[in-house]
Amino acid sequence: MPKILKWLCLLAALLCSGLAPAAVVVSSKLDSEATMLSQMVRLLLNANGVPSIDRTRIGATPVVRKALLTGEIDLYVEYTGNAGFFFNDVADPAWKDLRAGYERGAQLDRDANRIVWLTPARANNTWALAVRSDVAAANHLATMSDFGRWVAGGGKVMLACSAEFANAGTLRALEKTYGFTLTPQQKIVLAGGETAATIGAAAAGTNGVNTAMVYSTDGGIVAAHLVLLADDRHQQPVYAPVPLVREAVLTRYPQIAAIVKPLMESLTTEELQKLNARVQIDGESDQEVAADYLRSRGLVK
Amino acid sequence: MAEALGMWAGALRAQRIDRLGTLLTLAGAAALYLLPFVVVKANRIVPGEPHTLAAVLPPAVTLACTVCLALAAAAALLAANARLRLAAALLALVAVLLCLAAAGDALSPAGNRVVRIAPGAGFWVLLLCLGLLATDAITRLAPRPGRRVLLLFAFLAAAVLALASGAFDHLSIMREYAVNQERFGRELRQHVALALGSLAAAVVVGLPLGIFCHRVPRVREAILGTLNVIQTVPAIALFGILMAPLGALAAAYPLAERLGIRGIGAAPAAIALFLYSLLPIVANTVLGLKRVSRTAVEAARGMGMTDTQVLARIEMPLSLPVILTGIRVVLVQNIGMVTVAALIGGGGLGTFVFQGIGQTAIDLVLLGAIPIVVLAFSAAVLLDALVEVLDRGGH
Repeated sequence: MPKILKWLCLLAALLCSGLAPAAVVVSSKLDSEATMLSQMVRLLLNANGVPSIDRTRIGATPVVRKALLTGEIDLYVEYTGNAGFFFNDVADPAWKDLRAGYERGAQLDRDANRIVWLTPARANNTWALAVRSDVAAANHLATMSDFGRWVAGGGKVMLACSAEFANAGTLRALEKTYGFTLTPQQKIVLAGGETAATIGAAAAGTNGVNTAMVYSTDGGIVAAHLVLLADDRHQQPVYAPVPLVREAVLTRYPQIAAIVKPLMESLTTEELQKLNARVQIDGESDQEVAADYLRSRGLVK
Repeated sequence: MAEALGMWAGALRAQRIDRLGTLLTLAGAAALYLLPFVVVKANRIVPGEPHTLAAVLPPAVTLACTVCLALAAAAALLAANARLRLAAALLALVAVLLCLAAAGDALSPAGNRVVRIAPGAGFWVLLLCLGLLATDAITRLAPRPGRRVLLLFAFLAAAVLALASGAFDHLSIMREYAVNQERFGRELRQHVALALGSLAAAVVVGLPLGIFCHRVPRVREAILGTLNVIQTVPAIALFGILMAPLGALAAAYPLAERLGIRGIGAAPAAIALFLYSLLPIVANTVLGLKRVSRTAVEAARGMGMTDTQVLARIEMPLSLPVILTGIRVVLVQNIGMVTVAALIGGGGLGTFVFQGIGQTAIDLVLLGAIPIVVLAFSAAVLLDALVEVLDRGGH
């Protein structure tokens, strides 16, 4: 046999050996929370004998979503409320409720794309307002209704928020629902829209800022001594983390659903804030925090 | 006062006082006294408290550092000897770096892993001034290409040794490195592999294409025009365009998928970089071949050489320096552009940059950005040296 043929055979053999077990390709978006959650799922699958491949942090939502639809990845953690954008149906009131939004999204995605929504977390990562704890204590602020009453009654508020939040209707919708109006002098609009900046402004009291636009699971909320105001009239869509998996993969490994369930059920908004703080504020690696959480909850030994 | 200024202006005009030195000294002095040397942040995402050098370190250390900087300033202003200028710049550079390491140690609370000590604007400006002084001195020394490469490796080795010594471990960027240590090596290799791989592919395709363009002037405009258009497509848009066909290919042929040809990951990034690389290589090949004198080619033909022989023995060797200049442009450009590959799962140092932007953790951004700058700089020095060696050989 000529030498070149021998080498080609060897190469083919090498390639084929790489094909053997169809491991589950676990992916994630770029942000630290989504990556941490996907790492938790991946580590948990590994611990329960389901082989997995780490392809986390591959891109923004459209990139990851497309990769799942084309079958390039098998599983990633999405947020329930985003289904409103995927299926061009943002107005549906279902998205404002965790259970209803989950069921609606799960059904749409299964029918249209053969994608299964596993158990959602009982957490919500949505737009929200947070106030300095001293201001909250002095004025008894715990919910958005409290906040609305306080501002309408002449409370000295100064909000830091992104241009997107101020202009795209989110703030106006909150004002309408909770019966308050912020004058232009009562808000500082930051061009960037990073919550780290708004939280930093409220924590330091820059220009008298005492209220910040935040994501409700932001790690900075606790570290900056802010109090998250509950959306008690469910005005905002609920964005609950939920692992999405391709049906074909779930058929191959049906145990995935049961493996992931206790993990997702253990996660709350407060728990996510604490875990996010370790990644975002303390600078620990997402994988380290994920592994640590699984151990502390007894989900892996 | 006016008299002193007048004297200074006179000395400047008479070129007894170095112009660049004056500029660097003024900038350096401003940095030392007006800008913060280090910034102490309560955690990695909040803006920090600025500290000057004198406020952080004991007076004796501050004095020693200031003396070193004053020596560098004196050399920059007055010394004509390039070796002296280089030595003074390096001495001051070492002093500033030692001060930074000492400040990191002094300000880090024991056992606290949240507080970050970051280099301040003053440090960066001093670093820039001393770096410029040193590179200017090296340019004046005009070392041979081999020496320059040797110097580059000496600097890189010194930097790696200094970082590995642990002296800088208390600084914010090194803290980010410690957390991401495992991934850093992998992303660095991926970054270099993507930049070099797409360059190699572009050379293999671009060189023959350039020769073809040279030989057949009718197609030249069409090919160069097409490549020009590709060059204007933004990288992100090109990734988006490539995602669909590559994804379809992977879905249709599982083997392609196993080989890494997917809509997401390194494949679209490598293809996009390859397409961007073609224009400089093809254009420089055409230019290089055009530069070859007609008399040389005609003499070779007169000696009975075939077309292939003329190309291999006359045209290619004579145009190589120009072609290499094109390759240098591509390599430096690729090292920068690979950064955006992180947005489609291609990996590379850009992952740290975009992750850092997402968390507004500037130290994490720098962990990705600084090595990219060092890589691009090193690539430029290496290829410049190569071009010079070949150019000299050619004449």
